[in-house]
Amino acid sequence: MFPPYNIRVSGGFVLLAIWFVLANGWEPLATVLGAAAVHELGHWAVLRMLGAEVTGFRLGVLGAVLETNSRRLSYGGELAAVLAGPAGNLLAAFLLTVLGKGRWPAAVGANLVLCAFNLLPIRPLDGGRALYLLSAWAAGPVAGEAAVRWAGGVTAAALAALIAWVMLRTGGSLWLLPALLASVYWGAMPWHSGGCL
Amino acid sequence: MTSRQAGRRIAAGTRRRSRSVRNGTRKGEPLAAKDLRLMLRLVACGGIFVALVAAKLLLPAKMAAFNETLSAAMEQNMDVQAVFSAVGRAFSGEEGGGMGEVYQAVFHPQEGAFQAGAAGTAEAPVKMTTQKATLRDSAALDLLRGFRAEPGAPSGPPEAPGPEGQPASSLAYVLYSQENLPEGVSMEQALLGFDYSAPVAGTLSSGFGYREHPTEGEERFHYGVDLAADTGAEVRCFADGTVTAVGDSSSYGRYCVVAHEGGYSTLYAHCSRVTASSGTAVKRGQKIAEVGETGMATGPHLHFELQREGTYLNPVYYVSAL
Repeated sequence: MFPPYNIRVSGGFVLLAIWFVLANGWEPLATVLGAAAVHELGHWAVLRMLGAEVTGFRLGVLGAVLETNSRRLSYGGELAAVLAGPAGNLLAAFLLTVLGKGRWPAAVGANLVLCAFNLLPIRPLDGGRALYLLSAWAAGPVAGEAAVRWAGGVTAAALAALIAWVMLRTGGSLWLLPALLASVYWGAMPWHSGGCL
Repeated sequence: MTSRQAGRRIAAGTRRRSRSVRNGTRKGEPLAAKDLRLMLRLVACGGIFVALVAAKLLLPAKMAAFNETLSAAMEQNMDVQAVFSAVGRAFSGEEGGGMGEVYQAVFHPQEGAFQAGAAGTAEAPVKMTTQKATLRDSAALDLLRGFRAEPGAPSGPPEAPGPEGQPASSLAYVLYSQENLPEGVSMEQALLGFDYSAPVAGTLSSGFGYREHPTEGEERFHYGVDLAADTGAEVRCFADGTVTAVGDSSSYGRYCVVAHEGGYSTLYAHCSRVTASSGTAVKRGQKIAEVGETGMATGPHLHFELQREGTYLNPVYYVSAL
């Protein structure tokens, strides 16, 4: 029924998850992983609908990545696939609110936070990819590349500053460190490939 | 490993020259790059390990201090679950906390946890309060440091409500309106809705509110009242409730926390010993501890705090019958 997916979970992810559990407990980890699963399912469902084949799944420190072998998606199709993740989260938040009547605020919040974070216009995130696809669609790949580099650089710098500020103000929350390093890396190297979801 | 690798690369090179061009590069190159990356990783990890061991051997004191700083930072965490919950509630338009509630959850995890516990989930109230007490230690440390440097009282029993304490606390009422109070503090006199009695028979030696730091000349907030009494004097529980935390900290000394109905809780610090154990139900007036000067204290006294759902209230209204 399922094609033989190539699933890889990096050691860094396992370490970060253990750290997160030690710092915050099981419950938040389950909430975050649940929201992440909804997100990836959104991508996966639209990719399947468009006929693209999902070949692999990587779980790393910086998040989950679906690998697809189809490079022939149209701009519109790829945009739909990219936006399907955040849309899935938004849908889940709505459903949980309506069905739960306020019983699962944490799950709703996690879905919303994941949705908003992934919509940031920084490239490996969905927002950056969507920005590239939109501007490339409208004004050509060169303009798209320029737009995403500028927006990504500025947003990543702002995000890094925000995370650093939160860490300073809370006097810890060190498990945010990978996110801080990632946003610095994303901001400093806006040209790296965006071939993932 | 390197020499074998090099050999393979040379072999790949010759094969490329003699036979298929593509096969040679494809098989040889990625493997070499992968091995090189692994080697670099190993060298980096080994380097860090050796450097840390060297630092520990050469500068043990600095390393211990660094260790302490690091573990303190690692223990301070924002309450992720509370943050998510705040976002979720804001989304569903519940009790319009919005951004304010999210901000509260990020920067004041102890109060967030407290409210979550009071809201009814109550999975591990004991654990939560313990955590709350430890998290609050840094704030307590500051205020207790403020006490120690009190001029005119380098040691011995705490001074009576005399020249130092009295003007400062009345100043607090004049100068600091509700907006100027630190976060999580209320000057209101709440109606408790249950019977209570003073925890110790002693004199008020330091009130609730801002007081001027005598050496650094800055304002510090005192989150409770100090009741001077002899070492070993009985500390009686303020009201019926459950002991939620018994602990020993560098600032509070031996302390315990009791949760009462209506979301109220009280803290008893600097005890010579705590006789009640965590998790037990206690009655008003029951002995739970003995007065001491453990932690940062200049003389035997009870530091008494009153909270309502994470907000510090002025306990003086309820102990002033003395």
